[in-house]
Amino acid sequence: MSDDEEHYEPKAHKKLLQAIGSLGKVQHIQKSTRDERQSRQDEFQLVKGVSSAETDNAPRAVGLNDLVDILRTSTKHSQTGKKLKSIQGSKKVLEKPLEKPAADRIKRTIGYEGVTKKLGRWDAVVAQQRSAETQIFPLPSETVYVNTSANARPLNTRVKSNLAQELEANNRKLRELRKAEIGDTTDEKELAKQERFLLQKKLTRDELFARRKELAYLKMRESQKSAKARMQNKIKSKKFHKLQKRQKMLEQMKEFELLQKTNPEAALEKLNALEKSRVQERASLRHKNTGTWAKNLQIRAKYDKDVRKDLAEQLAVSRELTQKKQESDSEDETIKKTVVPEEEENDYDPFNPWTKRRATEQTENGKGESEDANWRQYWTKRNKNEKLLEEHRRDLVGVQDNDEQEEKETIQKPLTEVKPAKKKLKKSKVKIENGWQVEDISPTDKKEAKERPNSKAIDDIFEKHGDQIRAKLSKDSELKNTELQLALPGWGSWAGAGISKEVMERRNKRLLLKLAAPETRRDENKDNLYINESASTHARQHMVSSIPFPFRSLADYEASIRAPVGRNFVPETAFRMLTRPAVITRKGQVIEPMTESELVKPDRRLRHIVDRRIKRIPKVPPKAKIA
Amino acid sequence: MKVKMISRNPDNYVRETKLQQHKMPRNYDPSLHPLEGPREYVRALNATKLDRVFAKPFVCNLSGHRDGVSCFGKHPKQLSTLATGAYDGEVRIWDLANRISSRNFVAHDGFVRGIVYTQNAARIFTVGDDKTIKVWKAEAPEVGEDEVPVNTILSKFGLHGISHNRKDNKFATCGEVCAIWDESHNDPLKTLKWGVDTLHTISYNPVETSILACCASDRSIILYDQREAQPLRKVVLTMKSNKLAWNPMEAFNFTVANEDCNLYTFDTRKLQAPLKVHFDHVSAVTDVDYSPTGKEFVSASYDKTIRIYNAHHSHSRDIYHTKRMQHVVCVAWSLDNRYVFSGSDEMNVRMWKANASEKLGVIRPRERVNFNYQEALKQKYAAHPQIKRIARHRQVPRHVLNAQNKMRTVKEKEQVKEANVRKHTKKSKKVPYVSEKKKHVLKEEV
Repeated sequence: MSDDEEHYEPKAHKKLLQAIGSLGKVQHIQKSTRDERQSRQDEFQLVKGVSSAETDNAPRAVGLNDLVDILRTSTKHSQTGKKLKSIQGSKKVLEKPLEKPAADRIKRTIGYEGVTKKLGRWDAVVAQQRSAETQIFPLPSETVYVNTSANARPLNTRVKSNLAQELEANNRKLRELRKAEIGDTTDEKELAKQERFLLQKKLTRDELFARRKELAYLKMRESQKSAKARMQNKIKSKKFHKLQKRQKMLEQMKEFELLQKTNPEAALEKLNALEKSRVQERASLRHKNTGTWAKNLQIRAKYDKDVRKDLAEQLAVSRELTQKKQESDSEDETIKKTVVPEEEENDYDPFNPWTKRRATEQTENGKGESEDANWRQYWTKRNKNEKLLEEHRRDLVGVQDNDEQEEKETIQKPLTEVKPAKKKLKKSKVKIENGWQVEDISPTDKKEAKERPNSKAIDDIFEKHGDQIRAKLSKDSELKNTELQLALPGWGSWAGAGISKEVMERRNKRLLLKLAAPETRRDENKDNLYINESASTHARQHMVSSIPFPFRSLADYEASIRAPVGRNFVPETAFRMLTRPAVITRKGQVIEPMTESELVKPDRRLRHIVDRRIKRIPKVPPKAKIA
Repeated sequence: MKVKMISRNPDNYVRETKLQQHKMPRNYDPSLHPLEGPREYVRALNATKLDRVFAKPFVCNLSGHRDGVSCFGKHPKQLSTLATGAYDGEVRIWDLANRISSRNFVAHDGFVRGIVYTQNAARIFTVGDDKTIKVWKAEAPEVGEDEVPVNTILSKFGLHGISHNRKDNKFATCGEVCAIWDESHNDPLKTLKWGVDTLHTISYNPVETSILACCASDRSIILYDQREAQPLRKVVLTMKSNKLAWNPMEAFNFTVANEDCNLYTFDTRKLQAPLKVHFDHVSAVTDVDYSPTGKEFVSASYDKTIRIYNAHHSHSRDIYHTKRMQHVVCVAWSLDNRYVFSGSDEMNVRMWKANASEKLGVIRPRERVNFNYQEALKQKYAAHPQIKRIARHRQVPRHVLNAQNKMRTVKEKEQVKEANVRKHTKKSKKVPYVSEKKKHVLKEEV
């Protein structure tokens, strides 16, 4: 240790002294260098600078004296100073600035108001979005799409079918042949071009005038013709029309004959047309004696011979027209097998443009026609039966009229026979029209049929004492514990009179119908309570307790429930409109939040056809609905 | 006499190939369909039942984290990518289509508090408990390269959340203060403070992009504008708000997830009372996220369930839960409006269908039409008791049911008490009726 102390190194000693000397001068903590812009200076990074007095070379810091000295340099400054003094004397001192919290509060309020206003811009857009029938996400962007499909070239490598290839090859071959054979050098493209050119070519002035004249003439002719036709239609003379028709017929016949020679196909069509008119006439029942004309004539027919002749003629025409149908009817009845080709003919409807062609092509594969034959058979049979029945009824009615008084006296006997017939008469009004049976079935009849119990005895009882029982049923108080004797005198005693009384009594007991006592009311033993028993508990399950949100009135809600949406009940277009979902999103597409472009964008162009249709529906304002 | 005869084109009713449907000419005369109402009702009933039969919302479970999941970051462009952060500082990037974690790295010491993608989806920003903001590349590094952050910013303040502006390259962090940052600078452009200790969560408005909102520890929600030097407004609720989500289609509406089991939807312009109070959770609501259509939102709760609400309804439309799912911490709605993601304490990320009974995969046009019809029917008859009962019924975990009963009892008791107080006070001293909405807002500070 002592050795070390004694040991003296001048170099090191000098260094040490230097270090001690410069102890206050060196700045150990570096001044912060900023590489980022900062709004606020950090207090920890403010470093006290080393005093400049120590370092002679460094520039002296600016002191207060330096600033004041500058003011003395010119007279202007002193003048300004004086002015300032005078102002300070005359003018008021500004108020102290607000406390920081108060100032901040004001700033915040202003900022918030600005934001509120800014957010208010979105109101309309949001309201529209909320009320939209269908919202489609992602919202369509601002990007403009230009349809370039018109400029697109078709693909060179298009796959052609074998047929197309064959046709093309044939075409080519044909063209080559024509070239070789007749020196045909027409270029098809050129031809098409020419055609287009001709079409586009403008007419000369004269041509235009000529054309216009021609058109005017045609128009005039047309109007003349139509006027004439109208006049002729107004003519009331029967004779005139008859003659005209005949003339027309003759003309047509002539035309037809001519056609047959020249154009058999057209002739066939004409024939079809004739057939059609015939059938139409047939169907219209024009030549019956049921029209007003015929009825009027019928009145005069008694006295006028000509009129009678006219009527007979008319009927003859009708017979002639309807003849064909009756023939087929008779055929149906007699032979079943011949029906098959006939049915096919029926299937071939000359007026259905769609089946026309098919019918000619159709081969013989009749199937299920026999069913139709059966069906027709059934109707003819039924008609016949009805006719018979009608006659029978007429007889019965005659009998009834005679025996009315008798009936009243003895109810039991004759009614059993007459009843069914009478019932039927009540049941349906039967009209015979054109060989068809038309029944007006009243709904009450159905009910009656339903109500009828199986037991014959009860049925009979009800028929006989119907009025009495009904009267009783209506007053349920009387019906309490009612006993109905269903046994009839003579009923069951088929072997004749003289059956022992016991047996009869036993039987009568068996046939004694005891009606059940009416059910006691639920509120019977409850004093002032009234329970509505007619209200169904089943219905209660389905009753909505309150009107759901978007609806305001019960009527509206009920109407909405009543309107069906299914495609079984509404047309397909309506179905699509009614079932369009409220929100549509697409799979795999990011839905961006709303952008500001939404504020200035015009209404979305509706791409979907259903959306367009929905938009086209006029919206009824609620006020109009009420009124 | 005019004769009318039926003549139909067979093309209209004969099908061309046997693959086609038979064309059915129909008569829409209502008198021919006397039972159309009942038939449609039965169809609606069946549709509702089928809806419940097919309600299988759980899609998959993404496991890989080694600690509870704390936050989600949605990729703004890709639907199949999701970033998640965990309590142990690990960040995982998931490939949702293949249900695998495509990338993982440890980003922070302690919790990862927030993850966001930049607006062009090139970078990921993460904040953690270590007071750093780290910037990562969105693409995975090449093979052999290490996962290193592109940039690490040391913050002077603690960080609790991060949110990125949707339009420009600014982002905001919250913690002790709300700080607005520029992507290209390491210092905040601005710090906004309003005498609060901690701000938990921050969220930029996706539509009006300069506006942002924070939830603070003093039970308040604070609104900011990134251009202003001062905060804008503060509204104090009865309890702390945990998360805040803006409606992406309605610029002025936002929803907060509150500690008092409710969610509140506010209109920014009328903060005195919420527009809607959303009930149904039985424990603190931890997170909320809006569907990209702005029609619905999903909320996560401490009661181990997630619920889906219609934004304008006070009760939830659906509840999702599984036996193994613990306290749900974070939740997100996919940007195509089809899926919902939930991250929970027990380290799993779960993927759910947003619409429980929706059919996944290709839907043919005829199927689509039928679904639409069913939907229309369900909506039409929604108020009918039978249908309503079936549509509303959900099986909930026992603890939720018990809690619901308990809460109901408490509420009833309070109501009874209030009624009693009202009954027994003099008429001159009126006990005011306070609406449910106003009960939860303490004050609006200017």
